[in-house]
Amino acid sequence: MTKNLRLKTGKAIDETYRISFKFNGSTYYGFKGDTLASALLANDIHLIGRSFKYHRPRGIMTAGSEEPNAIVQLHNDSSRTEPNVRATEIEIYEGLEASSQNCWPSVNFDIGGINNLLSPLLPAGFYYKTFMWPASFWEKYEYFIRRSAGLGKSPTKPDPDIYEHKYIHCDVLIIGAGISGIMAAKIAAKNGLKTLLVEEKPNLGGSTIYQNSDHFKINNQNSGSWLEKEINEIKKLKNLEIKTRTSVAAFHGYNFLLARENLTDHLPMNQRNDKTRHKLLKIRAKKVITATGSIERPMIFDNNDRPGILLSSAIKKFADYFGVACGEKNILFTNNDSAYETAISLIQKGINIEAIIDNREEVNSKLIYEVEKNNIKIFKGYTVANTFGYKRINKISIMQLSKDGQKVVGPKIILSCDCLGVSGGWTPAVHLFTQSGGKLKFREDDQVFLPNIYPSDQLSIGACNGDFTLDEILRNTPKSLIKYLKIKNTDYDNLEVSSSTNKSKRNIWLLPSDKILGKTKSFVDYQNDATAKDIKLALREGFRSIEHVKRYTTTGMGTDQGKLGNMHALGIVSETAGAKMGELGTTTFRPPYTPLTFGTIVGRNVGEYFDIFRKTPIHDWHIDHKAEFENVGQWKRAWYYPKENENMHDAVQRESKAAREGAGILDASTLGKIDIQGTDASEFLNRIYTNAWSKLAVGKCRYGLMLNEDGMVYDDGVTTRLDENHYIMTTTTGGAANVMGKLEDYLQTEWPELDVYLTSVTDHFATVSVCGPNSKKIVSQVIPDLDLSDENFPHMSFKNAKIGNINCRVMRISFTGEHSYEINIQANYGKSVWEKCMEAGKDYNITPYGTETMHLLRAEKGFIIVGQDTDATMTPIDLQMDWIVSKKKYDFIGKRSLYRSDTIKENRKQLVGLLTDDPNEVLEEGAQIVADINKSPIEMLGHVTSSYYSPNLKKSIALGVVRGGKNMMGQKLIIPMEKKNINVIVADPVFLDKENKRLNA
Amino acid sequence: MLNYNQALPEKKSFQDLQIEEIKPIMKLIIRGKKREFISAFGKALNILLPTESNTSTQSDKLTALWLSPDEWMLFSNKPIDENTNDYDTEKLLNNKISKINLGAITDVSDQFVMINLKGNKIYELFQTGSPFNFNNFQNKKGAVIQTILAKIGIIVHNQDKNIVNLFVRRSFSQHLFSWMNDAASRL
Repeated sequence: MTKNLRLKTGKAIDETYRISFKFNGSTYYGFKGDTLASALLANDIHLIGRSFKYHRPRGIMTAGSEEPNAIVQLHNDSSRTEPNVRATEIEIYEGLEASSQNCWPSVNFDIGGINNLLSPLLPAGFYYKTFMWPASFWEKYEYFIRRSAGLGKSPTKPDPDIYEHKYIHCDVLIIGAGISGIMAAKIAAKNGLKTLLVEEKPNLGGSTIYQNSDHFKINNQNSGSWLEKEINEIKKLKNLEIKTRTSVAAFHGYNFLLARENLTDHLPMNQRNDKTRHKLLKIRAKKVITATGSIERPMIFDNNDRPGILLSSAIKKFADYFGVACGEKNILFTNNDSAYETAISLIQKGINIEAIIDNREEVNSKLIYEVEKNNIKIFKGYTVANTFGYKRINKISIMQLSKDGQKVVGPKIILSCDCLGVSGGWTPAVHLFTQSGGKLKFREDDQVFLPNIYPSDQLSIGACNGDFTLDEILRNTPKSLIKYLKIKNTDYDNLEVSSSTNKSKRNIWLLPSDKILGKTKSFVDYQNDATAKDIKLALREGFRSIEHVKRYTTTGMGTDQGKLGNMHALGIVSETAGAKMGELGTTTFRPPYTPLTFGTIVGRNVGEYFDIFRKTPIHDWHIDHKAEFENVGQWKRAWYYPKENENMHDAVQRESKAAREGAGILDASTLGKIDIQGTDASEFLNRIYTNAWSKLAVGKCRYGLMLNEDGMVYDDGVTTRLDENHYIMTTTTGGAANVMGKLEDYLQTEWPELDVYLTSVTDHFATVSVCGPNSKKIVSQVIPDLDLSDENFPHMSFKNAKIGNINCRVMRISFTGEHSYEINIQANYGKSVWEKCMEAGKDYNITPYGTETMHLLRAEKGFIIVGQDTDATMTPIDLQMDWIVSKKKYDFIGKRSLYRSDTIKENRKQLVGLLTDDPNEVLEEGAQIVADINKSPIEMLGHVTSSYYSPNLKKSIALGVVRGGKNMMGQKLIIPMEKKNINVIVADPVFLDKENKRLNA
Repeated sequence: MLNYNQALPEKKSFQDLQIEEIKPIMKLIIRGKKREFISAFGKALNILLPTESNTSTQSDKLTALWLSPDEWMLFSNKPIDENTNDYDTEKLLNNKISKINLGAITDVSDQFVMINLKGNKIYELFQTGSPFNFNNFQNKKGAVIQTILAKIGIIVHNQDKNIVNLFVRRSFSQHLFSWMNDAASRL
C-alpha cells in the first residue's frame, strides 16, 4: 500500500478531475494538471528508472525539462511507444502507460545493477581502453556494446500520428512566460508590436505564479497574485499570441528559431483522433526577447544521486504548484537562500522539515530568521558527506566544512530522512542565447555565465540574464525594454517591490567528504553516470580542453545535455587545472534544447508528401492502361505497359518491335521547353550551343549540345525556329529547370546587351510522339489538313497545325531512328490528342511505349542520353560527336576548354559501341571494361553506360566509355563479372540504320 | 473536336475555406524592357503594366501581375471558351509588341493552373507550407508574390479580402492540390 502525499491545495491541480494511469503495470491515480512526476510523488514513488552505465536506482530530481533521471518509456504498442520522455514534463491523461527504462527484469530488481558493484573497473574511457585488443575482436565486442547502448526502446512500426510545420513571422518573439516574459509581452504588444509569447509549460507564470510568501510583494500584493492579474490582462491583448506547451528547440542565426508546439500529448487517446500531435514552428522574428529563467544547481557530494534527492526548488514546486509533498522527513541542503523559500513553503503547508544544512557559516536574512522561528534546526557551515539508502534515501551523514571548504572536519552526524532537497545556486538558462551565436561573460560573484555580446537583434531578460531576485527582475526588465524597444515608458516603471535580497552564496564545486575521492560516487552527469572522479581522471590523462573532457567522460552528452551538471564539470576542471572559469569557456550548447520527436522534424513530409511528383497531362491514361512508372527528376514517367503477365523485359521487347514495325506512341511531355524570343535569339543560341544557328531556316529543327564552361556536355535537345526571332528549345527532362536557370543567368549577368527573352513552357504543352513506319498514316488521320509529304514536311522540320479548332505545333523529329512526329498541343487537350492517335493507329498496331523502350530504341540508333552515357567528364569529342562542334564560330560556352591539353588528349574515355561475342549475353550497365585480365593491378579502361537486348537486331547491344576507344574499333575487350568474364568487341555506336533510311522513309 | 481536360476537376470546401481551379483562363507571359514597350502595351489593351514590384493592375477583362522588372503575367478575369485557343488579346499583343520587336508575348494558359481560394483561412493554410511573410501581404489588395508552398513554386495574387488566386505549374498542380486539401482539413 503506497502512501498518499497529496496536500490539500495545489495551484495547478483540479481535484475534482481524477485520472488513472499505469506505471510499470500498476494503476495509480492523479489529478488533472499533474505531471507524471507529481502524480508518482503523490503516490510516494521516487524510484523511476536506472542509470545508463551503473544501473543505479534513480528518481525524480527536478520539476522541469532539465530532468536527467526520471525518463520513462511511454505507451506499450509498437507504433506509439516513445523512449526518454521526461516524467516531469508529460502531463497525465486517462490511460497513460509509462514504464521504467534501462532495467531488466524490473526497476526494483535490475540484473544490470551489477555494474554498480563493478564500477571501480569501469572508469571514464573504459570502452576506449578495453576494447582495443585484439583488434580482430572488435566485431564481437561491437555486438554486445551495441546491445547495451541507448536508453529505451524505439517504435518498430510507422508512427500513426500527424505532425505539421508552420511558419510564423512576428515583430517580437518572447521565449518563456515567467514574470519577466509576461512583463515583456505586455510591453511589446501594448506598443503595437506583433508579439508571440511561447512557454514550454502548460501554464503561464513561471515560478512566481505559485509564490505565496509574504516576503515577496509587488504593489503590496503577494507576487503570485499580482502576476496572475497581469496574465489575465495580457490574454486580452490583440497584438499578442500566446502559445503554451511550446518549447523553443533551436535559436539559429538572424533570429530564425524552431519551436515544438505540443498539441495533444496531454489529451486522453480517444480525444486525439486526426488531430495534429506536434507542430514544428519555424519562427522568423524581428526581435527576440529571451526570458528562459534559470535552472537550480545541484551539489556534488558522495552518492548525490539517490531516489529522494531533489532540487530544493522542485520540492517547492511540487508542494505549491502540484500540492504534493516529496517526503515526510525532509532535509534541505543549500549554499544560498533559495532553500529557505522552499522551507517556508513546506512550513506553510505543514510538511515536516528535519533540518537544513547550510554550508555557509554566518548568514542572516529575513528568510532564515523566519525558518529559525519555526524551530527548524539549521546546521551552518556543514556539508552533506554521504547519503544512504539504495532505492530511496533514508539517511545522510553531515560534517563540518573547513574554513577553506576543501576538507571536512569534526565528528560525523547522521540524520535520517526520506527526501533531501539540494540547492547549489542558480544557472542562467543561456542555452538558446549561445545557440544563436551569442558570447558569454563570467560573473565571479555568483559564478555564472551571462549573455555578453548579442549576435542578432535580441535581448535576454530576467534570471537568464542574471537577475535572480524579484526586485532585480522588476527593476531591470522595464529599463532594458525601454532601451531595447526604443519606447518612452512602461506600465512597470513605478512598482513597489519588497523581496528578500540576500544573495550570499558559498560556492564549492566539489564538496569534500571523509573518504578519498577515488572511493566516492559524486555524480556530475546523472544520466550518463559521469562522476567528479571521472573528470579528474580525464585531466590526469592529459585532456585539457573542456570539449575533450566532455567527450572522454560523456559529461553533458545525455538527452538532458547536462543542464544540471555542466557547470560543476567546468568548475571541477577549472579548479583542478588551475584555469579561470571565464577563460575555460563552456561546452557548446546545441539544438534541440529538449529532444524533439522525429515526427516533429519531418512534419507532413511523409508518405505521398515525402517528395513532390509531377504528372503529365496524359498521366491518367497511363494509369488506366496499367503502366508501370519510373521517377525521372520529379516526374512520374510511364516506364513500360505490361500486358497480362509480362515482365519488363517482355514488355520492352514487344513495345520496341512494334515501334519499328508498326507504330509506337510515347508521352514526351516531360521534356523541358523554353520559348526564346528577341532580335538576338539566333546569336544567343550560337553562344549557348556548340553548333551554328544563324542559318537555320524558319520552320526547321536542329539538334544542339550545350556545354559547361569546362567543355563538358551539360544538356542536349532539339531547337526549332518558329519564326525569324522566335525559337522553341527542348531540354532533357531532368535538366529543364537548371538549363532555364543557367540561360537566364547568362542573359542577366554575362550578356545583358542581347535582346532575348526566355519563358518556360514545359507545362504548357503536352507532347505526343508517334513513331514507326505507320506514323505518317496515323498523324494524317489525326490532322487531315496537314500536308505530310516529304517535300512539304521533311525530317527536322516543323509545321503549325490545327486539330479541330485547337492550334498545335508538329515537329518531324526522331529520338528512335524511326520516321516520327511530335505533336505539341496545349496541355489540357493533350490526353484527347493521345486518345485520337490511339484510335487512328488501331489498324497499325499502334503501341504505347515507355521510357525503357525509348532508351532501347535510341541506343540501337546510337543516340546518347545526357546523364546516362555522359557524366560531366565527357566532351562532344569524347562522344565521337565532333561534327556538332563548330570550328568557325567565334565563341560558345565551353569552347576554350575544348582546347586544353587534357581535353585534346587522345586517350580520354570515349563513347563506343560494344558487341558481346555471345549475342544473347546482355551486359550489366556500370560494369567495368578491361583489356588484360591478368594484369595486376588490373587496369580499368572504362565502363558500360547503356545495355539492352535488341529484338530488332536480334542481339545484345551496349554503349560504353573506353579509354582511347575511338581508335580501338574491332578490338576485343573483356567485361569481368563476378562469376565469368564476358568477351566484347568495340563497335560503331550506331547499330541500326546508319544511313538514316528509316528516318527519311 | 478535342476534349478539354482540366487539371483539378474537384472543388473542395472546408470550414471558412473553398479551393477550386478556375478554367479556362487565358494567361500570357509578357516580357520587355524598352520604354516604348510599356506604352505600346498600355495603348493596345487599355491597362498599364504595374511597375512597382509585387503589385498588380486590373481592367474589366484583364489582370496584370508584376513578376520581375521585365516580366509580367497577364490573365483573363473571366473564363474563356474552351473550344478554341485563338486569343484576341494574344493576337493583338503579337502585332503590337512581338512583331515590331518591342518584347515577347508567350501563351502560358496551360503552363499554369489558376487555383482560386476563398475564405478567412487562406493565409493560415499558406503558413503551413510557405516560408513567405504574408503579414502585410494579406492586407494589401492586388499584392503579388512568387514563393513556394509545400516546396512547390507558386505565384500568389491577393485579389481581394479573403480571395486569392494561386498559380502553379500544371504538372505540380495535382500534388499541390492534394497537399492543400490535406493541410486544410486540419485548420
